[in-house]
Amino acid sequence: MSTVEIELREVRKVYHKDRIEIPVLEGLNLTVTTGEFVVLMGPSGSGKSTLLHLIGGLDSPTSGSVRVGDAQLERMTERELTSWRSRHVGFIFQMYHLVPVLTAAQNVELPLLLFRMSSAERRERVATALGVVGLADRTDHRPNQLSGGQEQRVAIARAIVTDPRLILADEPTGDLDAKTSEEILNLLNVLNTEFGKTVLLVTHDPRAAAHGQRQLHLDKGAFYRDEAVPPRAASTAAASR
Amino acid sequence: MTITYVLMQNLNRNPLRTMLTAAAFALPMAVFVAAISLVVLLAKVAAANEKELRLGVRQKTSLINPLPEGMRRKIEALDPDRKSLRAVCGMRWFGGRVPNTQNMLVSMAADADTFPEVYSDVQMTPEETAKWTADRTACVAGSGVAEQYHWKVGDRVTLESTVPPYLTLEFHLVKIMTQTERGNVFYLRRDYLEESLRTAGFDNPQCNIFWVKCTSAEGLRALQTRIDQAFANSPEETKSEDENAFAANFTQAGGDIPGLMQAMAIVVVCIIALVAGNTMMMSFRERIRELAVFKAIGFQSGRIFTIVLAESAMLALIGSLAGVLPTAAILTLVPMRGLRMGPISRVEISPVAVIVSVVIALVVGLAAGLWPAYQAMRLRTVDALRRIA
Repeated sequence: MSTVEIELREVRKVYHKDRIEIPVLEGLNLTVTTGEFVVLMGPSGSGKSTLLHLIGGLDSPTSGSVRVGDAQLERMTERELTSWRSRHVGFIFQMYHLVPVLTAAQNVELPLLLFRMSSAERRERVATALGVVGLADRTDHRPNQLSGGQEQRVAIARAIVTDPRLILADEPTGDLDAKTSEEILNLLNVLNTEFGKTVLLVTHDPRAAAHGQRQLHLDKGAFYRDEAVPPRAASTAAASR
Repeated sequence: MTITYVLMQNLNRNPLRTMLTAAAFALPMAVFVAAISLVVLLAKVAAANEKELRLGVRQKTSLINPLPEGMRRKIEALDPDRKSLRAVCGMRWFGGRVPNTQNMLVSMAADADTFPEVYSDVQMTPEETAKWTADRTACVAGSGVAEQYHWKVGDRVTLESTVPPYLTLEFHLVKIMTQTERGNVFYLRRDYLEESLRTAGFDNPQCNIFWVKCTSAEGLRALQTRIDQAFANSPEETKSEDENAFAANFTQAGGDIPGLMQAMAIVVVCIIALVAGNTMMMSFRERIRELAVFKAIGFQSGRIFTIVLAESAMLALIGSLAGVLPTAAILTLVPMRGLRMGPISRVEISPVAVIVSVVIALVVGLAAGLWPAYQAMRLRTVDALRRIA
C-alpha cells in the first residue's frame, strides 16, 4: 500500500519587495505518495522552484502546512530543517555546483562529513553512489576534467550518497544537450524505480516531463492540471535507456 | 577527507591570490618577529640590569658634560660603612673604532680597580682579572665585535678615537664577553687613556659617568637621593638613575621611537587586515552559490561561519609562518655582522616573539574573515540558489 510522502495544505507563499507583496503560491494543496516520480511544469515565475524549495525545507510557507514523511516542516527551526535536509533530501541543481578543487569522489563525500562515520564506510558509500551513476572510473577526476553530463552525474551521486528518501531536481537537464539529458533522466528513473526514491523534477522540457509518472502544471502560483503520464511515454523513455 | 582538507583545497583555488595575500602577511610578520625579539631582548637586558643594582651618576645637564674624576672619592665617602655602596667605577667615553672602518663601538674607559666588581656580570675569571689588573693596555670586548673583526683573546687590537684628540691606541684583549647585551661593547682601562691623553697634552682626568654598584635595591634608591642631594647647588650637580632609566634616555633621545614603532605596527596590522578582508570577501562572493549548496545539503549556518573564518585564519597562519620561520632561521644562523643597536650586536629570535607574531597574524586573519563569515552564515540559501537558477 502506498503511503503519503508529501502533503501540502493551503500553502501560500508571498515575497515582499519594497513593501510590495508578491504572491508566488496561492493556497496549494498537493499529495505525493512514496515512490512517485512527479514532474512540475510551468512557465518562468509560476512558482515551480519556490514549491520545490518549500518541499525541500529550504524556505518556509507564508501560511499553510508542508509535511514530508513524518516532518511538519513549517514548525521546524532553521537548524532542525538543515539537519533534516541532510538526512532526507537530495538536491540536484541545473548548474551542478560541484566544488572545483575537489575530485568527483570528494565532492560526493561532502554530505557524509556531517555524519559520524568511519572513513572506510564513507569510501564505500561514495564508491556505491558513483557506481550507481556510472562513474566508478572517474573518482579522481576534478570537475574541470569531466563533461557536463558527467558533472551532473557526480551531483546526482552527491544527492543520493546519504540515501535520502526524496530527490528534488531543479531543471537538472537545463544545461545539457538532448542525448546527455536523456541519460540523466534515465538515471533519475532508475533511482525512482530500482531504489524507490520519491522524485520531484522541475522542468520546462516536455520530453523530460515524459519521464515522470505524474505531471503537475503550475501557473501563477496555482495548479491548473494534474495528470498521469501515459504509460507508453514512460515505457518509451525507459526503453531509450 | 576532512573539513580541514577542504579548507586547504579552497586556498588552492586561486594560487596567485592566495600567494599574494600570504605575502601580505609574511612580510610584515618577518619584520614583526625581529622587532618583537628586540623588545624581548631589551626586556631581558632590563631585567638583568635591574639585578645588577648599578646606579649611574652623571652631570645633571648632560652626559656629554664630564665630571672630575675626584668625584669618585666624594661618592664613596657618602657611605663610608659600605652599607649601601659596594664600589664605584668611573667611566670615560672613548668613542673608538677600528681604523679604516665606519662603525663606532660603544667603547668606554673604566677604572681598572673596581671594574671587575662593578661589572661582575661580565664574569671575569680570576686569571682574566689578574691580566686586566696587571696590564694597562688590557681590554675587554663583546662577542659581536670580536666576531666581526676576527679577534681572539690574547690579540693586540688597535682602536682610533672619534673624539679629540683622536688618539690611536693599541690594546691587549684579555676577555671576550659573551653576553648579548654587551656584544657591541669595548672596555679599556681609564688610567691608560688618561696617561695617553696627558702625553698628547690633554691633562684633564675626568669621567662621563660613575657607575655605583649597590648592595640592595633599597640601598640603590637611598644612594640615588643622597648623591644628588650631596652635589645639589654645586658646579657639578648630578643626576643619578638606575641602569634601565639611563638606557631609556638613549632610546628616547631620537624621539618617541617605541611610540612611533607602535603606531606603525598598528597601521601595518590594519592594512593587512584590510587586504586579507578584501581577499576573503572576494573569495566569499565567488563561492556564494557553492556555500548555498553546502547549506542545502545540510551544513549548518554555524559550520559555514566556521569554515569561512577558518579559511581566513589558515591563510593568515600560512602567511605568518612563511614570514616568521625564514626570518627566525636567518637571524639564528647568519651572524648579523655590522648590526648596531647600542650595546647589542645581534638579535636572538625569541620563541615568545615567534608565538606573538603568529598570534597577531591569526587575530588579524580572524578579524579579516569575520565579516565574510557572518555574511556566509546569514546567506539565505533560496536567494543564493535563485541567483543561479
